[in-house]
Parts: sequence; structure tokens; C-alpha cells
Amino acid sequence: MNTFIFGTLAIISLFIFFNLGKVKASRKQLDRNNRINRFGNQEPNNIIEGEAEEINDKDDDQKNS
Amino acid sequence: MSRHSAINRFGRSTNPAFSRGFDSTSYEASMGERMTLDGAVNKTGILLALCFSGAFIGWNIPALIWPGAIIGFILAMVTIFRNPAKAGSTAPLYALAQGIFLGGITLMYESAFEGIAIQAIGLTFGILASLLMCYKSGLIKPTENFKLMVVAGIGGIFLLYLVSFIMSFFGSGLSLLSPSNGSLMSIGLSIGIVCFASLSLVLDFDFIEEGAEKGMPRYMEWYGAFSLMVTLIWLYLEILRLIAKMRSR
Repeated sequence: MNTFIFGTLAIISLFIFFNLGKVKASRKQLDRNNRINRFGNQEPNNIIEGEAEEINDKDDDQKNS
Repeated sequence: MSRHSAINRFGRSTNPAFSRGFDSTSYEASMGERMTLDGAVNKTGILLALCFSGAFIGWNIPALIWPGAIIGFILAMVTIFRNPAKAGSTAPLYALAQGIFLGGITLMYESAFEGIAIQAIGLTFGILASLLMCYKSGLIKPTENFKLMVVAGIGGIFLLYLVSFIMSFFGSGLSLLSPSNGSLMSIGLSIGIVCFASLSLVLDFDFIEEGAEKGMPRYMEWYGAFSLMVTLIWLYLEILRLIAKMRSR
């Protein structure tokens, strides 16, 4: 009985951990101004690699004409 | 306003959404290198699986208990003080080594108190799940003061461990920490230690959540999973000790 109760508790708890762990915390938890700031005020890196294309004034003039 | 006059006035935009040569695959790759909650939870799962495998070995070969403990301790120090980027290689080995140690020590407790292992495992994961629910719902809010309190408490506990360890070289450790000491003071101390170990879990959840939110590098998933494992192993050992004390009464 002891094994059954605590074994079930362990399995249910692990199930909760693996499912709830992947869910983002509530706004109540995240939108606070007294949060611990471990990583500094780092903005998420939004620089995306890609090719840049030079804009030519000539192209504009050709299109306009 | 024509395009070239806009450029003259405002300068060239660096917004990648405006570049015609936008490459979606490189965007996905760069986003894929960020820490995520999924990744950290999956890596904790891998470490738990390795720990259980190690425990199976330690349970069947108890002679490996001290090599497992020493190697685990060294690997923990290496993971903490070396570059966190290397956590991916040391954390799995740490989990395996600590698993061997836990398997051996659990066997020792189990031979003295039948059924203690499953009780300790159930309570450890029970605390993990309930605190995770409290954290996610915002019931427990880790702040700088909360962190200070937990770190100060843990510092005091480790000082106590150190004194007991040094005293053990001269014949006896602190009797308060002995699993066979069923006095109320000793049980109270163990309950306090279990509380601090549990609260330390909340700091680990917050570390993972913040890391994922701020888009830290992917290797921090391993580091977050490792810190969660360290706390879980400590919590399990303290719960084992607490139950042993209660059953010694």
C-alpha cells in the first residue's frame, strides 16, 4: 500500500512537471517590477541574418519614367 | 515621399523585415539557438533518466557509492566554476555519478527502514510538482529579498555540514544531523533544511523561466537542468534523512 501511494504520487508529480514545466508562467508571475534580474537588461537578440540589397537611385528614376 | 528622399532623411532602416533578401531558414536557425522552456524541461528529463540508471547500478553494486559521490562532486564543481557552455558535457556525467551514489545510499537506508526509498522519491517529486504549480500560478513570487533569504539559509546549512564533516575526523559528527537521532530538535532541523531545499527549487524555476524569456543561448538549458538536478538530489537526501529520523523515534 505504501509503495502504491508513494509510487503513484511520484508518477503523477513527474507527469505534472513534464507538462506544466513547458507552459509559460502566469502574467502575475512575469509582469512584476521586483523580479530577480540575473541576466541584466538584455533585449532578446532580434538581429536576423540575411542578405541586404543596395537601393539604387537609378532604379527609381527608371520606374518613374 | 520617394524612397531615396526618405533614406536621406531617416537613414537606412536596419529592420530585417524590409530587406528583400530575407532568408527564413537562417532566421529559424538563429531562433533555434535560444534557450526555451521545452528544451530545459526535456534536458531535465534526460538528466533524471541518467540519474535513475545510475541509481540502478549503485543499488546493485554498493561498492561504487563513494567513487560515485566523489566523481559527482568534482563534476558539479567543474560545471559550476567552468564555462556554463560546457554544461552539456558535464551535467549528464554528473547525473549518472550522483545516481550511483544515491542508489547505494538508498540501499543503506532501505535496509534499515523498509519502504523508505519510495516514500522519499514520492515526496521529492510531490514537492517538485506542487512548487512548480505555485510558481507558475504566481502564488510564490521570487524577489531579490527572497533570493537573499534562501541563499543566506543555504549558506548557514552548508556551514553546519562543514562543521559536522570536520568533526567526523575527530570521532563524531554533529549528532543533530545523524539519521538515527529522533529528537524533536533534530527533526525540526531536518524540516528546516527540507524547506530551504524546496525554496531553492523556486529559484531554479525562475532561473529557467527568465533565461528562456530573455533568449539566453541554448547551452543554458543544460545549465538550468543541472541546477534543478543539484537541488532535487539535495532535497531527496534530506527527505531520506528526515524520514529516517522520524522512524527512529
